[in-house]
Amino acid sequence: MTTDALTQPADSRSMGSLLSNIFWGTSLRAKVTAGILILLVWQVGVTLFAPSFVATPIGVALAFPGVVTSKVFLIASKGTLLAVFQGLAIALVFGTVVGVAMGRMKVFDRALNFYVSGFYTMPMIALLPLLTIWFGYGGDARLATVIFAAFFSIVINVRDGARSVPPEYLEVCKAYRAKARYVWFDITVFASLPYLIAGFRLAAGRALVAAVIAEFFVSLQDGVGMFVLFNARNFNHDVAVVGVVALVAFGLMFEITMNWTTRRFFPWYRRETKAD
Amino acid sequence: MSAEAEADGQSSRIEINGVGKRYGDLQVFKDINLEFREREIVTIVGPSGCGKTTLLRCIDGLLPVNEGEIRIEGDVITQPREGVSMVFQHFGLFPWKTVRQNVGYGLKLAGAPRAEIAEKVPYYVDLVGLKGFEDAYPYQLSGGMQQRCGLARALTMEPSVLLMDEPFAAVDAQTREILQFELLKIWRMRPMTMVFVTHSIEEAVLMGDRVVVLKGRPSSVFEVIDVDLPAPRDRSTLAHPRFTEIREHVWTTLMDEVRAAEYELN
Ligand SMILES: Nc1ncnc2c1ncn2[C@@H]1O[C@H](COP(=O)(O)OP(=O)(O)OP(=O)(O)O)[C@@H](O)[C@H]1O
Ligand SMILES: [Mg+2]
Repeated sequence: MTTDALTQPADSRSMGSLLSNIFWGTSLRAKVTAGILILLVWQVGVTLFAPSFVATPIGVALAFPGVVTSKVFLIASKGTLLAVFQGLAIALVFGTVVGVAMGRMKVFDRALNFYVSGFYTMPMIALLPLLTIWFGYGGDARLATVIFAAFFSIVINVRDGARSVPPEYLEVCKAYRAKARYVWFDITVFASLPYLIAGFRLAAGRALVAAVIAEFFVSLQDGVGMFVLFNARNFNHDVAVVGVVALVAFGLMFEITMNWTTRRFFPWYRRETKAD
Repeated sequence: MSAEAEADGQSSRIEINGVGKRYGDLQVFKDINLEFREREIVTIVGPSGCGKTTLLRCIDGLLPVNEGEIRIEGDVITQPREGVSMVFQHFGLFPWKTVRQNVGYGLKLAGAPRAEIAEKVPYYVDLVGLKGFEDAYPYQLSGGMQQRCGLARALTMEPSVLLMDEPFAAVDAQTREILQFELLKIWRMRPMTMVFVTHSIEEAVLMGDRVVVLKGRPSSVFEVIDVDLPAPRDRSTLAHPRFTEIREHVWTTLMDEVRAAEYELN
């Protein structure tokens, strides 16, 4: 058992690097070939063995232009994206404040750590029935779910970051007699930025999931989740898959935006983490 | 310089009276008695781990002492004090701030008005030779440039006491020499009390009006050597016979300790 546990990480690492070589290495051709192969198997498999309403790559591709320009879809996308962005913004601000407080003051940490960890691990779907009663069957319940899903991963990461501020920075602060607000919201926040970004990434993924689940549960008309559900139930599976693809695209867009933002506004960020 | 200022120059700015410091069970130094006069440069040498950094931190008020007291201008030091600046061996620059922001940060923390910061920062950036690098981030600077940035931050506070912890340890020999003479030049323009910790005996003798040798375990002041070399100190000082003499003296004093430590290991 113990030897297994010891050897496994090494194995999985080499496995991981192998996989990443296949997918992200120079072998673009292999990647494209694999993609085409998967689509081909999907197309042929469905055509041969599945009922006609099941989505096929060609069906999805044909449905795509019509769907992404349709009013219903645009309203649904706007609803989901707005809820995710609002929720993330609120979670980011309050999560950072609470995380910094916990990281810098033992009292807060002792008082809150247990609950924050608890809520972080709790599946937010379990809370949905309650949230709908508190916030009604509408957009508010979705926003609340998103905030709830995003908040704790930001708190946990910022807390860890705030606890690991290099002692040299704090020594400089003390020597220059920095007021607490500078120590907290300048030095601590920026020194924990790598943690904050990691937490925010995690939060964004959770927020998108939360928004879609809330839309399922609340039957929110202006949501991509509901768009997918509605079309799936009406046997428009090609259209439903376009909705799913849109959700994937939202996630990728977020990643790209994050990368651009860190590069543009925190030019020192990557250099700093690389040097460590 | 007026007669009054002359007399003032002889008054002591920092008094260290019977100071001792412990980390838990480890007694770092004990019974340190020193006086640093106004506008004097005192260098401190001693073997690694003898408590030089610790002593400097105590003087700056970053660490409490366990025995005795440290006074600056008569006030007992319990926390960092206005008019005292420290240059850290670890630079202490913030990677997310540019040179301009790092240099001005001390003033900003002290609540200085924007106009004052905007006026002083370029002056000191220029003084330490970082003109043109105002918008660079620390990762874009060499070690010596980072050190100068840290020095500029301390100087913008226009301190009457400047504490420096091995400020040139991380730079190459040539840069180090340039920085030494630059610092002496800055000091001549704005004389202040300077306490300068270094590992380099040459540097200690070159820069110091007096050299303090810490020795022993726990350490204490073993010797205070007056460096009677002509001012201003420059490259020619290095060739002065008296310089060699003093350097050898400090070296022998320290070497005894190093040898003793070696025997202990064997
Ligand atoms: N925060 C601390 N807690 C416990 N012990 C410490 C701490 N800081 C320093 N020490 C110990 O105190 C002693 C003196 O440390 P200090 O850093 O002052 O030495 P130093 O003379 O500056 O050494 P160097 O020349 O290598 O910089 C060392 O033995 C060190 O291990
Ligand atoms: Mg030291």
